[in-house]
This record gives sequence, structure tokens and C-alpha cells, in this order.
Amino acid sequence: MANEIETKDEPTIVKEKNTDKAVEAGLARLTPQRIKSTINQVLQKETGPRFKAYVETCMHCGLCAEACLYFLSNDRDPAYSPAGKVKQTIWEMLEKKGEVSTDFLRRAVHIAQTECNVCKRCSMYCPFGIDVAYLMLMVRRICHKLEITPLYIQDTVNSHSATMNQMWVKEDEWIDTLQWQEEDAREEFENLRIPLDKMGADVMYSVIAPEPKFQAGLLYQAATIMHAAGVNWTMPSSPGWDNSNMAMFTGDNEISGRIARAFYETAARLKVKRIVMGECGHAFRSTYDVGNRWIGWAMPPFEVVHALEFYHELLTSGRITIAEKFKKTVTLHDPCNVSRGRGLHDMAREVTNMMCESFIEMTPNREHNFCCGAGGGVINCGPPYKGERMINNKVKAEQLKATGAEVLIAPCHNCHSGLEDIVHHYDLNMEVKFLGDLIYETMEKKIYKPGD
Amino acid sequence: MNAFIDFIMGPMVWVAFLIFILGLIFKMVLIIKDINARESYVYSYLTWKHSLRSIFAWMTPFLPQSTKQSPVFYSISYIFHLLLFIVPIFLMSHIVLINEAFQVSWVALDDGLADILTVIVILALVFFAIRRHMVPEVKYLTSYKDYLLLIIVALPFITGFLAYHQFFFYKAMVIAHVISGEIMLILIPFSRFSHMIVAPLTRAYMGSEFGNVRHAKDW
Amino acid sequence: MEENKSFDWSTDLKEVSVREWEDRFVWVEEPYVSPDGETIASIVNIEEGVFTVCENGETWDKEYDKAWNLRPLPDGKFAACVSSDEEWTLSISGNEWENWFDFIWNLQVNKDGSSIGLAVQKDMEYGMAVNDKPWDKMYDNINEMVLSNTGISAAVVQVLPMAQADIEIFKQGIFSCAVNGKPIEKKFLNIWDISFDSTDKNVAYGVRLDRVNYSIAVNDAVWDKKFQSVWKPVFLSGENSVVAPVKEGGKWVLYKDGQPFWKNQYNQIWKIAISQKSGNIAAIASDKFGKWTIAENDMVWNMTADQMISEFVYSKDGSTLVAVLKDKGFWTLAVNQKKWNLAADKVFNPCVSSDGKIVSVVIEKQGQYFLAVNNIVIPNGYDFMATPVISPDNTKILQKAVKDGVYQRLILSMDKIL
Repeated sequence: MANEIETKDEPTIVKEKNTDKAVEAGLARLTPQRIKSTINQVLQKETGPRFKAYVETCMHCGLCAEACLYFLSNDRDPAYSPAGKVKQTIWEMLEKKGEVSTDFLRRAVHIAQTECNVCKRCSMYCPFGIDVAYLMLMVRRICHKLEITPLYIQDTVNSHSATMNQMWVKEDEWIDTLQWQEEDAREEFENLRIPLDKMGADVMYSVIAPEPKFQAGLLYQAATIMHAAGVNWTMPSSPGWDNSNMAMFTGDNEISGRIARAFYETAARLKVKRIVMGECGHAFRSTYDVGNRWIGWAMPPFEVVHALEFYHELLTSGRITIAEKFKKTVTLHDPCNVSRGRGLHDMAREVTNMMCESFIEMTPNREHNFCCGAGGGVINCGPPYKGERMINNKVKAEQLKATGAEVLIAPCHNCHSGLEDIVHHYDLNMEVKFLGDLIYETMEKKIYKPGD
Repeated sequence: MNAFIDFIMGPMVWVAFLIFILGLIFKMVLIIKDINARESYVYSYLTWKHSLRSIFAWMTPFLPQSTKQSPVFYSISYIFHLLLFIVPIFLMSHIVLINEAFQVSWVALDDGLADILTVIVILALVFFAIRRHMVPEVKYLTSYKDYLLLIIVALPFITGFLAYHQFFFYKAMVIAHVISGEIMLILIPFSRFSHMIVAPLTRAYMGSEFGNVRHAKDW
Repeated sequence: MEENKSFDWSTDLKEVSVREWEDRFVWVEEPYVSPDGETIASIVNIEEGVFTVCENGETWDKEYDKAWNLRPLPDGKFAACVSSDEEWTLSISGNEWENWFDFIWNLQVNKDGSSIGLAVQKDMEYGMAVNDKPWDKMYDNINEMVLSNTGISAAVVQVLPMAQADIEIFKQGIFSCAVNGKPIEKKFLNIWDISFDSTDKNVAYGVRLDRVNYSIAVNDAVWDKKFQSVWKPVFLSGENSVVAPVKEGGKWVLYKDGQPFWKNQYNQIWKIAISQKSGNIAAIASDKFGKWTIAENDMVWNMTADQMISEFVYSKDGSTLVAVLKDKGFWTLAVNQKKWNLAADKVFNPCVSSDGKIVSVVIEKQGQYFLAVNNIVIPNGYDFMATPVISPDNTKILQKAVKDGVYQRLILSMDKIL
């Protein structure tokens, strides 16, 4: 394994790093002039007093290190500490006034795209509240403009730009998949519908593209939950149905904003009251916190409800009742983007306890939980980086193992995939589940009628 | 030479204080103007409530998780920052000077106590320097400039301590004390010492983003 | 609104009971009402896997395995996408097109109803079909379909094959704009927002030239200038000139034919509306972060909305501009700079009289539908309502509403409302 750590005192950064053909082809095309002008354009024209404050105020105290999954997983190698990553990227770009080499950029794109989940945990460990994630996203933006973004995540951004969904799902495939799930679900609920383009529905339900592409069963589950709860809901048949946004994680802010626009315009076209989204963290961050801002919405124009909050509402209002609680021991992973990103962690515990008999807390937790190691677009950089990712997730694996739980609940897609990888790699023998999986398993399969 | 010393001991003190205060004000104005011009969106998120909540949380010893995880560093850091203000402001000899100039005075520290506190400040700085050298993740971030900042802060305290005890070169020591104090004051607005006013701003913004937008704590 | 003249404006009330549909069918889907209000229709399920459409209680002669996308047509008929034996076609009141496809979607109808367009997929090839005539050439993928007023179809098509995750070929440009199935020569990384001019002879669209540069293309000519981003270009009425919001130096500005047009810069210029009559140009814009407004001929309205301005429309004579907006958590309208005091949970598409004197809209408040006319909400709540129609002489409003299982076509006298 590559994480044979060098001497403690003189840590080095020369560890073998993976790259991919998009990064390499991009680097080969670069000229010193383009590198310099791009870096300086981004750092001078696209930043402001925030950036200045973050760079000029950091006292190099190193306290952020303790926050970082990468630092802790790599035997406290300082090159993985948040400020260490800023030093290797932004500080040097500033010091050299943009005159950096392609070798430097190879390292920079690797750090920004695969060694940081932009999870913002370090902002909670910096006494000044310096937003290292923002700085890493700035590095990603530079890499985006230099066209050295890793292959697989760039392909998802290309897909977003052309189809407004992440996985090149064609428009007919999307509708066809919904109709197919609707038909299957009618085996269970006779009259179940996935109402398409129902103008004036109360709820627009939106998901990320991997659901129709690989996990259509989740659409089935969501449809049964909506149907049983008697929700007046709809799903759009047009682009704008996908709430994911990988462009936000490559620094392609223009495409990121376009995605957010398509999403909210779809909700506006359907005249819904609010938007409920599936169990995805980054999609929540995009629609609630990031994509909207590029457009000029200080806050989202529609109420955006993450699935876990919606489940909480359905369970506490009695629209969904639990037939029999789940027996196995469960633990809960707090996805960064809905705990640190929206404060839903206590609700997640209430939902879990309503469905499960035996809940074991994971530590640290809530706002302080460790990222799954997949988020922030890291897992989306794809297979070339998976081996490293597993090493970088060692602390997460230890944290999971310490719970001794049989089932790991992760109410987020990226977390789910990342944790599956960790469970497999570290042989943790845990089953990873969504909250929706558990609701579907434990709920009474009857249709809610007011007054029941 | 005497004229120079008179200048250093007299007008320069006021000049240093002016640069320090006006410099900070100027910096603040510049930051606010820059925000208005380039990042006015921050006002959509900043709230007094969440800003102050975060600032006070971080000023409360051992409330933030980070402080619990690094108790030694934070304890020393809290004490150091407090004494950095308390010692010079409540030092008898400083108060006497101010009283001579402005006929105002306030309660002073006992000289013996002040002496001990000065030593504590110096030791804290020594601790910071050793930590910079010994702890890998700090060392990794450290350049000569970081040591220079420590020295700049240390000098007024060391020289003050030596002058007070009149171990040697009393007069030269007093002059060195005044000069180093002036240097520190002048440098505050123009160096990373400006975290004195910038850190509350970054904290306020992060506190507001976390509290107001994301409904989460940031400590 | 000439077409409205033929509507029955003299019968005060016509009713259709829809409650009994619930008993006749396994389930009844959401209703649609014809423009003249004479017919209410729903897709209904007859038994497992058997669907048809019920119009005023009468079902279509044909039954299908699946049916969706029901839409009223201007002539009072209804169209739906239907499927039998895993093939799809369009059915208009039970009369199917001759062509069947592997999938169809995106049903579009032009204003007078003479053209009906669909996106179609057959054997994994994609195109459009208008009035039962599919494009001659089909493509690997299709997006951004549009149908013009005279029935010209256009879409973004993928003209080069792309292997999985091949970002090099993507970088070269694999998309073109196809009009009636014929691709315009030029290829781009992305194409969005196709617009026709009033003659339907020209198209304009937003393009991405490379990773960071965007521009506007008119037919096969790209503007010389490159931008940080662009939104939908629009032709000015009766000319070949095109205006488009473009992002330059971090700010949005309005360009015309590749040159700066409006003087002011905005945080956002979202969408353009043009009055065919007066030539006025309006934009949904944001002057200050987080605040939305309308800029008319580069003059900002004295009104802001803190959440969204979703739609806006000029009256036919150009005298009135009506915007649908959300402010402080509620939806309302703004008419010529003045906000209505609606505070609704939902506001549907407004109906504006030709002279702009009457604006009527359906709103929903706490689960009930209401009709609002010139800032007055008529207190009767309904379970459902379709878009109202204003009579050509401005004296009456045709209200289409369902309450307690009965559809009512109601002619309201404007005198009584106001």
C-alpha cells in the first residue's frame, strides 16, 4: 500500500499519486502563459475580501489538521492537513504570481479534487473560521479553466451541460424508467401512480440521475412512501428533474448555475408548493446553498426539503406508521451536507429511533461527524483514485468499526457509495442502507386517510 | 543621537499609536469598501445574532470541540492573548506616563504580579516557537516569517522585563523597549497581526453561514 | 384573443358531473379543460393495464396499455401519448397517428393547433415528429425540442457518436441545432434555448464554444464576441435582430446582434419578453443580490421580489406587463410595477385581456383554488380550476372550476366582480 509514511519529522509529499488521461492531456496542452493568466484571472478577478482575509489572516497554527479525515487517515501527514493543502496550492500560486509548473498543477488538481471533500469540518476547528473548502474550490475552478479536471467527474459535468442530468440519461429513458417503476409498484399498491407533470401538485419530488440509471428501486420505494402517505406529488418529465450538480464540485460555476436554474424553473413551471428531494447530500447543498447563489437567489426560491426531513414529517404527523420496528443494530452516518450543511442531525436520530429498535451512536457525530470520504466530488473522480480513497478513509473505517452495528444508515447517495466501498475494503461486515430502505421495510403498507 | 532618542521616546510613541489605530480603522474601511464593491452578497447572510453567537462561543474556553482536543495550546493561547492586553494596559509605569501626558489614570497591576505575567507572556511565546518547530503539521506551515512575528511580539516584553529589573544597560533597554513596542504597534494593521480585527469578521461570516443558512453550530 | 369570439359567452352555467367517474373507473387522473371550457377530460384506468381518456363522461373508443401527457388542443379536442404492445403514438380523441414509436414525449402544440409536435425515439434513434411526420434523419440523442408557431420543429441533436466518458470528442463539439431534422452545419460543446423569429425562417440559440466561452448563434453564424455565460436569445419583433442576456466581466448585460445594447449592468438578466406591438423589451432581472425585479427598456421597476419572478407576459397591445412572482414566502402578481396583495401558495398562468385592462389568474391558498381578477379574489373556493378566459369585449370571464365532484363552466360578469 502506498501509505507507508515517511519519517515523522520531515514529511514529504512525493508519495506516488494517481492521475488520469484527462488530467494528463490537459496538462500537455498548457502553456506557461495560459497557466499564469488563468490563475491570476481567477485569484484577482473572481475573489474578493473573503479570499484575502482567509489567506492573510491564517496564523499557520495547524489546528485545522485535527479536523481532517485525510490528515488523520494518513498518520498525521501534514501534507494532508487543510492548511497544508492550501500551502501546496493557493499560497504557492500567490507567491509565484501564477507562474507555476505543470508538475505543480498535477499535484494541485490532485489535492483539490481527490484529497479534500470540501466538507467544511475544518472551518469548525479553525479559531478564525477560515473556509478552506472555499479555497479548495477556488483551486478546482482554476483547474476547470485550465481543463485539467479529472476525467470521470468532468464527464458528469459534460453530461449535466448537455442533458441537465449527471449520467447522460436520455429524456425518454427517464420517463420510461418512472413508468416502469410505477407499474412494478402497482403490484403492491393497486392504484399507485407516479404523477408526471401534474400542475399544481403540492410536492415536486426530485432525485439524482444515478437513481434512474442504476437504482430504480429507490424510485419505487419513494413512490410507495408518497402513495401510502397520501401526498399530492408529481415528478417532472422534462430536464430539471435531476437535482445533482457535479459542476459545483469542479468549479464550473456557469454550468452549476445553469443546472440550478433548470431545476427551479421546472418547479416553477409545475406550480408546486415545495420540493422534496431524495436522500442525497450534495444535491441538497447545490440546490439549497450553492447553485442558487450563482443565479442570484440568496436563498432557494422554493422550500427544499431533504428526504430525511420529509420522512420526519411523515412519521411524526402519522401519515406513515411503522408496522414493526427494525431489529438489527443500526448506526447513523451524518452526511456533511445535511448535518453541517443544514442541521438535520437530530431529526435523523428521531427518524432512526422511530423505525429501529437498537440505535448505536457513532463518534464523533452530528456537525462533527467525519465525512464519508466520497463527498465533494471525490468519489466522482472515479476508479483511478479509488485505491487512494480507501487509504484516505481509514479513520472513517475505524469510526464505523467501533460502533459494532450491523447496519449503517447513510441518508445520502455519495455517502452510501463511499461507505459501501469502505465497508468492503476494510471488511467491516456492515449493511449500508438509506432511511428510505428502512421506512419501506418497516412501514405499514396502507394508505393514509386523514382522521384515521 | 539625543534628538533621535527624544523623538523615539516622545512623538514617535504617538505616531505609533496613531498608525496602529488609524491603520486598523483604515483597514476596516478598506475591507468594508471591498465587500460592498465585490462581495456584497455576504450581507444577505450575516446576522448579528449568529455572528456574536459564534464569536462568543469561540471566546469561551473549552466550549469549541477544537479547544477540547488541544487543551494545552488553547489554554496557553487564551492566557497569552489576555495578557497581551492586560499587562501593557495596566502596567504601573505605563499608567504613570499616560497620567503625565493626559492627567488620567486607572488601577494598576502590582509590579511584582506584572513581572510574573510578563514572564508568562514570554514563556507562552517560547511555547509557540517550540510548538512551531516540534509539531509536524505546524512546522509544515511555518516559514521564517512566523518566527519573526513571534519575535516582534516577544521583544517589547523581554526588553520591558530586562529594563524593569535593570540587569544591564538600563537606558538602552528602555529605548529598545519603546522601539520594539512601536514597531509592534505599527506592524499590527499591516501584518497577520491584523487578525485582531479580521478574525472576528471571518468568524462572524462563518458563524452566520453556519447558523443562519445551515442551522448548525460552527464550534 | 379573436379565437375566443366563437366561445359560448351567453350560457351562464354548464355542469358536468365528474364524481361518478370515480365509481366508473378504477382511478381518474388529474383533469384538463378545453380552452372553450366545454369539455373536461382525464386519463382514466379501466382495469389493470387498461387506460383511456374520459371527456365529459364519454370515453374514447380506444383503450391503451398506457396513456400519459394528456393535453387540451385549441379546437377543443384532447391529445395524449398512448401505448399499445409496447409501441407509442399520439392519440387525438382516440384517433392515433399512423406512425408508432418506441417512445414519445414532449407534446407541443402551436397556438392555433394546426401543428402538434413530439420528441420520438425509435430503435434508439432520436428525432421529432410533427403532425404524424417524423424527421427524415434521426440522431443519437435529442434535447431542447421546440415547435414554432407555423409548425417548424427544432432541437439540439447529437451529430457525432461519443464513447462513454470520452471528453476529448465532447471538447470538439458533438451537438448541432437541427431544424425540421436538418442539422445546421456548426457543432458546439453545448446548445441551449432555441428561438425562432416571427417568420420562423431564422433560429437563434445559446452556444458554448469551449470550456469557458459562450456566445450566441443565429442560424450558422456565431457572434464574434465571447462571453462568460449566456441565456436565451430572442428575436426582436419584425426584424432579424437578436437580443440576449450575456455575462461579461462578472455582470449580466443585454446584447443585440453581438453589440452591447442596454447600458446598465445587472447581477442577473434572466429572461427576455418582447411586446410585438410596442417593441418594448422587458427582462426579469436582479439589480441587487437576492432581489428580483423587472427591467423594461433598461429601466428598473420600482418593485422587488425577494424570491423569484418566474414568468411575465405582455398584453397584446403592449400596454400591460404582468409578472408572476414570489415574495416573502408567497406568490402574487405584479402588474405594471404594482404588486397585487395575493399572498397565495401557488399562482397559475395569468390571463391578460388584449388591451391589458383585465388580468385574471387562478391561485391556490390553503388547498383551495380561487379566481383573482384585477387584484380582487373572488371568495368562492374550488377543488380545482383551469386557466380562465376573458371575453373579447372585456365584459365577462369564463371560469372553469371543479367543486364537490361537479365541473362548472361559469360565465362571470365583470361588473359583478369589480
